[in-house]
Amino acid sequence: MLDRMLAQRDLFTLVGELARKRRIIGPVRRENHFFYEEVADVGTLDLSFNYCVYGPRAFLFPPTETLFTFNRFDHTFTAKPVLDVRPMAFVGVHPCDIHAIRLLDRVFEQDHRDAHYLARRSHTLIVGVDCRTPCTEGVFCADMGTHSAIEGFDVMLYPLHRDGRDDTTFGVMFGSDAGRDWILYSRRGAIPTAADERAFEQYEREKAAAFPRHLRMHANDLPELLDRSYDSLLWEATARRCYSCGSCNLSCPTCYCFNIYDESDLSGTTGRRERTWDGCHLKNFAEVAGGHNFRPRAASRLRHRIYRKAKWVRQRTGLAGCVGCARCDRACTAKINSVEIYNQLAEEA
Amino acid sequence: MSGRRSSTILHEPPPRASSAHESSLYIPQPARIIRITPLTEMEKLFELGFLDGSRLNQQPGQFVQVSMLGVGECPISICSSPTRPDTFELCIRRVGSVTNRLHELQEKDTIGIRGPLGHGFDTHEMHGKDILMIAGGLGMAPLRSLIQYILDERPRFGQFHLLYGAREPKELLFKDDLLRWRESKDVNLAITVDRPDPQWRGKVGVVTTLFKDLSKLNPDQTVVVIVGPPVMFKFVVIEVLARRIPQGNIYCSLERRMKCGVGKCGHCQANHVYVCIDGPVFKYGQLKGMREAVE
Repeated sequence: MLDRMLAQRDLFTLVGELARKRRIIGPVRRENHFFYEEVADVGTLDLSFNYCVYGPRAFLFPPTETLFTFNRFDHTFTAKPVLDVRPMAFVGVHPCDIHAIRLLDRVFEQDHRDAHYLARRSHTLIVGVDCRTPCTEGVFCADMGTHSAIEGFDVMLYPLHRDGRDDTTFGVMFGSDAGRDWILYSRRGAIPTAADERAFEQYEREKAAAFPRHLRMHANDLPELLDRSYDSLLWEATARRCYSCGSCNLSCPTCYCFNIYDESDLSGTTGRRERTWDGCHLKNFAEVAGGHNFRPRAASRLRHRIYRKAKWVRQRTGLAGCVGCARCDRACTAKINSVEIYNQLAEEA
Repeated sequence: MSGRRSSTILHEPPPRASSAHESSLYIPQPARIIRITPLTEMEKLFELGFLDGSRLNQQPGQFVQVSMLGVGECPISICSSPTRPDTFELCIRRVGSVTNRLHELQEKDTIGIRGPLGHGFDTHEMHGKDILMIAGGLGMAPLRSLIQYILDERPRFGQFHLLYGAREPKELLFKDDLLRWRESKDVNLAITVDRPDPQWRGKVGVVTTLFKDLSKLNPDQTVVVIVGPPVMFKFVVIEVLARRIPQGNIYCSLERRMKCGVGKCGHCQANHVYVCIDGPVFKYGQLKGMREAVE
């Protein structure tokens, strides 16, 4: 059931009003590709985008951020945390990325709460846009069960009537009180009619048929498949092509590994501790002081990443570590393809 | 579509609002260096106390993140026991940028500490048991916290065997402690080195050679603790299993690169475990089949 119908021009008016209170982040076209960007003019948002090259994680978990600033004195120091609580709204997030954000939420909340991520996240409103068709051929979101989202958003928009770029009418579903209040208090849009509900059912039927399956097994069986594949020669064979460049990590919407380092002035009396994205495919990722490297070979690093995405992250968080967006496959300089890896492993097992 | 509607009941609230006051996990606390004791060419012992007078309240086997602000941070195991709570000690090998800088510091200087972090030894599970401890190289540092604990709570434990192997005599850590422990009836200490120097009068060989002089163990009554380099681990486990010690009675501690120390950054992951929050102390059963843990 839909909660509301909203024409695209009304939506943009609403987002324009929202922009007075929040930073607006959404898909913007740059030449032939789309990127999530903070926009000053909501008119530059393009909700008919196919996919964004990177997920929106950079706005919740920036590539580089300051954890704290410090001042050193004789025989003591002070350290002051840096928390970013500026309100944000993501406008135009596809279901795969909504699933990815849910995973990041879980990771940064569980065991030890990471105030830096949670400060941003708890001040973020998420407006999703559903995908009627797969954004590219290689995506396997339907296999991973992430081509639709039923939670993890404040508002979800379904592009039901698409009469042209500027005339889309969205079916709206509320995912939170904040999302409901935002739409309902605006008094824009309309109550869905029986015809709208029928159109939505038709939309869902067409969508189900439009998303192909690429995996030769159910995603729930991937952990077991990997259990049997630790010693497969495929890791070495595939990793022979790997440049250990980390593009897979960089482009992944669920990668959250990081490094921590210090920056200071020349005298060393003031400075800051920074964290920056890191990637498990990079050569020195598991190297300890003294030089021992626990994953010295590209094959062991490739295996580590695949195990994390398809087994270990799920084991730890209960959520899929891979959302099937295929960004890693597109980004790979050596054309290593995760679906191909899973299917080859299944063939051997 | 009714499934969709009902599913919103499952909707999880977004992460709990985090105020600007929520404390950051990453802030180190200032701690003063009370005493520095050189141990070898590479290691120094730092005795520390928090500036605000608070105590560390560690378990044996836990670690801290040590900050040199402006240089960085690194994980160091705590080598003193909570039974000596006023201060705490860290044995620091000069091996990276942070530890090299730490070695330049003087008494009364201040460093940053986050912790205690990780899971230490379950000392309650060891109460009433005989203890066999095997230390290799720098593995002696985390074990010293447990050794001190056992010696301070001696009536709670049965027999206590300690086997210690180092590459060379000059690499032996805590020589003052070793002299004291060797004289003590509370611990049965055996030491060996791989490469003796001309002054060495003790045993020569890898640490597993010490097993042949070990008195008979009571398998169900014995807890075994192994800490050392990965290469040592496998061979010691074979010796231990050959003496029919149940796998649930075997503990070990792992070393990894760590950045956050709180289960986020991914650096310390060995197969499915995060060494920083699931360990660094593990039972052997947890690591079995985890090839990255011991290879």
